[in-house]
Amino acid sequence: MAKVTITDLYKNYGSVEVLKGINLHIEDGGFLVLVGPSGCGKSTLLNTIAGLEEITSGDIEIGKNSVAGLHPSKRNIAMVFQSYALYPNMTVSQNIGFGMEMKGIDKNEREISINKVAETLQISELLNRKPGQLSGGQRQRVAMGRAIVREPEVFLFDEPLSNLDAKLRIDMRTEIKRLHQRLGSTIIYVTHDQVEAMTLATKIAVLKDGCIQQFATPYEIYNNPSNMFVANFMGAPAMNLIEGIVVKKKKDIEFEMKNNKGDIISLPIDGVKGLENYIDKPVIFGIRPESINDLELSGKKSNKKMVEKEVEIDVVEPAGSDTYAIVEFGGKQVVTRLNGNSVVAAGEKVKLTFNLSQAVFFDIDTEERIR
Amino acid sequence: MSRNSVTNNIKFSRILIYIVLIIFAVYYLLPLYVMLVNSLKPLEEIRGGGMLYLPSVWTLDPWRAAWSSAQIGVDPSGLRPYFWNSIAMVVPAVLLSTVLGSLNGYVLTKWQFRGHGVVFGLLLLSCFIPFQIVLIPMAKLLGVFGLAGTTSGLVLVHLVYGVGFTTLFFRNYYAAFPTEIIKAAQIDGAGFFRIFWRVLLPSSGPIIVVSVIWQFTNIWNDFLFGASFADFDSTPITVALNNLVNSSTGVKEYNVHFAGAILAALPTLVVYIVSGRYFVRGLMAGAVKG
Repeated sequence: MAKVTITDLYKNYGSVEVLKGINLHIEDGGFLVLVGPSGCGKSTLLNTIAGLEEITSGDIEIGKNSVAGLHPSKRNIAMVFQSYALYPNMTVSQNIGFGMEMKGIDKNEREISINKVAETLQISELLNRKPGQLSGGQRQRVAMGRAIVREPEVFLFDEPLSNLDAKLRIDMRTEIKRLHQRLGSTIIYVTHDQVEAMTLATKIAVLKDGCIQQFATPYEIYNNPSNMFVANFMGAPAMNLIEGIVVKKKKDIEFEMKNNKGDIISLPIDGVKGLENYIDKPVIFGIRPESINDLELSGKKSNKKMVEKEVEIDVVEPAGSDTYAIVEFGGKQVVTRLNGNSVVAAGEKVKLTFNLSQAVFFDIDTEERIR
Repeated sequence: MSRNSVTNNIKFSRILIYIVLIIFAVYYLLPLYVMLVNSLKPLEEIRGGGMLYLPSVWTLDPWRAAWSSAQIGVDPSGLRPYFWNSIAMVVPAVLLSTVLGSLNGYVLTKWQFRGHGVVFGLLLLSCFIPFQIVLIPMAKLLGVFGLAGTTSGLVLVHLVYGVGFTTLFFRNYYAAFPTEIIKAAQIDGAGFFRIFWRVLLPSSGPIIVVSVIWQFTNIWNDFLFGASFADFDSTPITVALNNLVNSSTGVKEYNVHFAGAILAALPTLVVYIVSGRYFVRGLMAGAVKG
């Protein structure tokens, strides 16, 4: 097991910069998730850590040693690929044992390790089959077996679940987390699925266009996004972003926006740091769907951060445990998360509670968080 | 009533299709039939006309003559020595061009270097160079290498010509082979040749069959290079067959010529029958999965 440190990493393909100065550190036994939209460079970053792609400049350390320029097989890593990448001509047991065979470990010893890993992953009865005879989930397990048997210092996962169907994906997600808890190993995991990122990670790095947008714990990323991209990308449904103006009324600072009819709606936003500099200027107001709900205000009425507003419901999307209602608010389609038992219908006017303690504000030009 | 007429229509068109197919099959098989039937007749029977009739006297003598005693050029040796000449040329040429083609395909898809596209383009271009253009430069080159008139020389010529095609086959096949598997093998610690030998080649069955059939047929049937570059002791069977049919002394022994022609065609036929079903499958395998 080892920590991984990446310093000022650049990667160019010809004149195209793919990674632009990446700095990351993941402690021993940590679970780092690299998340971002397609083409953000997250898989390239993983490949450079694996040594499958050369870096242009910067350094990667695994444990205490720099691995720059080292062959993939010498880096003490194991990788699980999106397509599983099993050797089609070999049996499951040969697949798992191939790395040991290349190292010249003798057959008996290999058998013992293979059987041990197969038992952990419950694939013992599949050992003599070829990959072509396995289901997607079984292939996934074999691919993980091939990684575990190497007993690496760092596991690298490249979107390992994206080829599985929805139900299996959730099961395997839990299994990977359990594996991490049991082995206590360092894991770096690439995904474009922000739910996977939230559930698995101890640290998340959100990437866009080859730059890290935010590198923090899942809680921080979710509740304190550092810019509009992160706020929008993490969370499902996404955070609501509404444009408006900061105004000062007597002592209080308020956020004013116009609804579709042109009426002005205002929310009290006292106590948000940094907003004093934005008086009479436009800003973006961000609020998560779960912060707009139909909970009773009883007892909390005195709380200045809880505000009631009447809105018109546009579309209702029941999801069982919750009911998502899309409402018109501040000229935007705003997603709200209501109680699963709520009886609301489209076209109805209801009073919803806005919990402003979780609200965030962004500069309209730089899209950076105001704080 | 209406449903009946629909099924009748289908039946009718089925019958029509089969009739047309049978006519074409007969049409294409007719030359083979004529050759086979006449190679089993005594010469007098052929001279008496009736090419399409079955022999009234069956005989294998023309076959024996064609194989071991017919006059070819100045020697009454039959086609036998030339048959072995062809084998000695075809087998190494096919094997070498297939191995080189697969290595090229491996490098061009999985170990890409700057300018790999240009290299592939040039190799592809070699497929389109007409044979006649290279005759004189090739003769010169074989002379320089001291390979003029030898079987090794012919192997070299066919190897050079074949590599373009085999590279094309293997490159396209390997382009569809997942690169992640190669990466996985790298992480497992396998090197360049180990990956090729242990991972890629075992998955290349269909395309190897395609390459072998293609190369075998082309090289076995080649006449021009054989006629231009071969000596007495390296003449391939195609050239010998020509000499057999064209010998101007004595009577034309048509039955022997027919038997000789079939003998010369037999190996390609065998290769097709043995591995033909992989041929179509192999051609498809590269094409479908993108």
